Amino acid sequence: MASVTLAPPGYFGSLLEIDLTQGSRSSELSPQLLRDYVGGCGLGTRLLLDHAPAGVDPLSPEAPLIFTFSPLVGTPLTTSAKFAVVAKSPLSGCVNDAMCSSHFAIAGKLTGHDAIVIRGACSGPTAVVVDGAGVRLEPADELWGLSAAEAEARLRERLGSRYRVGAIGPAGERLVRYATLSHDGRHAGRGGLGAVLGAKNVKAVAVAPSRKVPSADPHRVIELARELRERSFGAATAKYRELGTLANLLAFNALSTLPTRNFKDASFEGAEALSAEQLSTLRERTRASCASCTIGCEHIYPTRDGSNVRVEYENVFALGPMCGVADPDIVLEASKRCDELGLDTISAGGTIAFAMECAERGLLSASWLRFGDGAALLRAIDEIGVRRGLGDLLAEGSKRVAEEIGEDAATFAPHVKGLELPGYEPRTLQSMALGLAVNPRGADHNRSGAYEADLSGDLDRLDGGPAHVAAAVETEDRAAIVDSLILCKFLRGAFAEPMHEWAGLLASVTGWDISEAELETTARRVVLAKRLFNLREGWTRADDWLPERVLSEPITLSSGREATLPRERLVGMIDEYYERRGLDSDGLPTPATLAAHGLETH
Amino acid sequence: MGSSKAELTWHGQPFADRIARLLIRATGGPLIVVTAPEQEPPPLPAQATVVTDAHEGRGPLEAIAAGLRALSADAVAYVCSTDVPLLHPALAEHVLASADTETDIAVCETDGRLHPLAAAYRARTLPEIEALLAEGQRRPIALFDRVPTRVLNRSALLANEAVARLDGSLESLANLNAPADYERAHALELPLIAVERFGLLRSEGSESSTRTHERAATLGGLAKAAGIELDGHVVAALNGEQVTTDAALPLVAGDRVSFLTADGGG
Repeated sequence: MASVTLAPPGYFGSLLEIDLTQGSRSSELSPQLLRDYVGGCGLGTRLLLDHAPAGVDPLSPEAPLIFTFSPLVGTPLTTSAKFAVVAKSPLSGCVNDAMCSSHFAIAGKLTGHDAIVIRGACSGPTAVVVDGAGVRLEPADELWGLSAAEAEARLRERLGSRYRVGAIGPAGERLVRYATLSHDGRHAGRGGLGAVLGAKNVKAVAVAPSRKVPSADPHRVIELARELRERSFGAATAKYRELGTLANLLAFNALSTLPTRNFKDASFEGAEALSAEQLSTLRERTRASCASCTIGCEHIYPTRDGSNVRVEYENVFALGPMCGVADPDIVLEASKRCDELGLDTISAGGTIAFAMECAERGLLSASWLRFGDGAALLRAIDEIGVRRGLGDLLAEGSKRVAEEIGEDAATFAPHVKGLELPGYEPRTLQSMALGLAVNPRGADHNRSGAYEADLSGDLDRLDGGPAHVAAAVETEDRAAIVDSLILCKFLRGAFAEPMHEWAGLLASVTGWDISEAELETTARRVVLAKRLFNLREGWTRADDWLPERVLSEPITLSSGREATLPRERLVGMIDEYYERRGLDSDGLPTPATLAAHGLETH
Repeated sequence: MGSSKAELTWHGQPFADRIARLLIRATGGPLIVVTAPEQEPPPLPAQATVVTDAHEGRGPLEAIAAGLRALSADAVAYVCSTDVPLLHPALAEHVLASADTETDIAVCETDGRLHPLAAAYRARTLPEIEALLAEGQRRPIALFDRVPTRVLNRSALLANEAVARLDGSLESLANLNAPADYERAHALELPLIAVERFGLLRSEGSESSTRTHERAATLGGLAKAAGIELDGHVVAALNGEQVTTDAALPLVAGDRVSFLTADGGG
C-alpha cells in the first residue's frame, strides 16, 4: 500500500500530468520539493528540469508546458492571484518562465493541483478541460483562428462561467516563436509559450475550481492581508495606480535610457506624444485590476476604431521609439493587433525594429519597411501573426533573422540568448546591463530588476563595477522569490524588509518555520536550477553576453557626455557575478554550490 | 574674514564642500584636498582624499606639491582655493582641456593678474616644484618660467562657448577675501536652474509646461523652491546624467534637474 504524505497547508501536494496522447495521471509533490521551490517560477523550473527530456525540441510533442500555482494563490493577500507558465523556449532554447494573472490562477489551483504538466500533441484543434470530473479533451475547431480573447469567451459560453481559460491566438497556432498564452487579456508574454501550446494543437486550457485548500493560520493571513492592502494604497504604488508603467517612458527619455530605433539612440524625439503624462491628459482612459489586486495598474486607452487596449511601458517602447514611430494612434493600434494575434510586444517590436534597420542598410529586401513608418509597422505585425510574406521570417525572432541574413546583422540584432531586449538601455543602466546579460531566460526585465539600483541614486549608473554586481544579484534573488510566492512586483516598494516579510507571509499560509535566510537560499536555488537547465540544453559562457552594438557604440547623453560599456567592464562584472553565484569561470556551478542547494544529482 | 574660509558657507553650504563637489562634477575625480598639518579638514564629500602639507607655512606652492604627490604621474589637476564658491565646472573643464600634451600648466589671467589657484597643473611638474621649494620659493608664479605654461586671459576663457554662456563675468575666479566680497557673493542672484517633472510629479506641479525654472544653490534648495519633497519616493537626475537624492548637490547656472518618482522601471 503506497503511503500518502500530507501536503503542507496552502498546497494540495499534487502534480497533474496530462499526456494529450496517453491520458493523464496525478502524482505527489513532496513537501520538501514544495518547500525548496515554493511555487510559481521556482517550482516550474524544477519540474521542467525533471520532466523535459534533455535536448528536447520545444515545439515537439515531447516538450512539456507547465502551469504552476503557488501557496499564496487563493488567499486574500493582494496581488497573489498569479500563475506561472514554464517551458523550454522555442525562441531562446533556454528555460522560459512567464507570469500571468487573475482568475485562472485561483481556478487552476483549486482544481486540486499545485502544477499541471501538459505534453504530447493532439491530432486537431483541442481544448483541455480540467475540473472536478478530471481531465477531458474537447474539440476546438471552431475556436481555431480566433484571438485568444474570442476563444476564451466562446469556450466559457460553452462550458460555463465558472471555467477560466488560458488561450493562444493565431500567432500561437502558427508557431510564431514569440507567441503568447493569455488569460482575460493578460499575457504570459515572453519566450513563445503560445507556440509551445500551438504545437500541441491546443487552443485553450480551461480550469474550474472544485477543491478548497486551508491556510495554516487563517487569522494571521487575514491580518497580513489587511496590512498589505493598506500599504498597497500608499506612495510606493502610486505610479502604477495613477499612470501605469507607461510613466517610465518620458523619465527614461530624459535619462537616455529609452532604447530608440533598434538601440541606435537612447532618447526619442517623439516621446512626449507617447507619454503617460500626455495620453492621460488628452484621452479618456479606464483602469482595471487583476483578481485579488488592490493596486489596479492597468490603464486602458481607446484606439482610433473605438476598441480598447491595455497600455504598458514595454509595448509602447517596443512599438514606438524602438521602431521610430511617434504617432500614438499607430502605437495603440499596433499594441491591439499584437494582443489579438497573441504576439509578445517586446519581441515583435524588437524584431521589426531590427528588420527596419536591415532593410535600410540593404540587408533585407523590404523597401517598404522603414523606421518611423507606422503603416509598415502595422503591416509587419499582421504578416508576422499569420506568417505571411516577410512575416514568416520575422516570426522566427531577431536572432534567427540575423543568422538568415548573415553579414554583420548579428552585431545589431537586439537580443540576449534569442530573447529580444526590453526597454532598458544597457549603456546607461549598467547594473541592468549585467542583469540582462546573465539572466537565464535571456534579456529580461522581470527576472532581473537591477535597473532599480541604477535609478536609485546609490550607484553610478554609467560605470558598472562590483557594487552593480551585488545589486544585480540581489534583485535577481528577490525576483526569484516574488515569482515563486507569487506576488506582483508592483507591490515590491511596499516591503521595507522584503525577504523577512515574504518569509512571514509564507509562514502564515504554510505553517513553515521559515526564515529570511532560508528564503535567500531558496532564491539562489531557483536561479541555479534555471542555469542548470540551460547548461543541459547547451548553454555556454558565450551566451551570457550583450549585443555587439551595445559594447562598441557610445550613447550620447543629453548633456553631451558619451556613455559606453566597454567589453572588459562587462567581462569583469560577469566574472564577479559568477563568483558570487558559486560558479566557476566558465559559469558552471561548482560541486559545492550544487550540494549546498540540493542539486548535486543534476 | 574672522574664520577659516573653508568653513564659510554660501547659501547654507560650506565653501569647501561645494567647491569639492563641483570639481568632482568637472573632472570625475579623484579629488585631493590639502590642509595644513594638524588642521581639522572642513566638511567634504566622501570621495575627497585629504592630504597635508609636508611643511607648514610654505604657501600655495607647497600645497600644490602635496596635492600632485597624491596623483598619478600622468594626471592633470585643476587647482583652486577654498574661497571660490562661485566656481562653475565649465571653467574648470575649459582650463583642464587647455592643458594639452605640450602644456604643463594652463593658468587663468584677468586684468593682467595671474591666478595660480585657478589653473591646471600636470603632475609631471612635481620635480620642478620640489626644486623651487628647495630653493625657498613659495609662489607658484615662479614655476611658470620653468615649464611650458599657457596663460588664459579673459578673451581666451570666454572663447569657450560654455564659459561665455554660463560664467560670462568669470565669477569662478572671484576669491572671497574680505567681508565685502562675501556680502557681494551673497547678494548675487542664485543660479537659474531648469526643472523638469515626470510622472505624478508633473501632474502635482503648479506648472503644466514640461520645463520651468527656479533659482537655487543646491538640489535640496531647488526641490524646496519647486515644492517637491526629496523623500524616498522622489529622485533627481542632474543634466540627464546621474540619478541622486543628495540634497547637498551643488547647482550652477545652466543646470537642468529632472525630478522623477523613485520607482522607475517595472
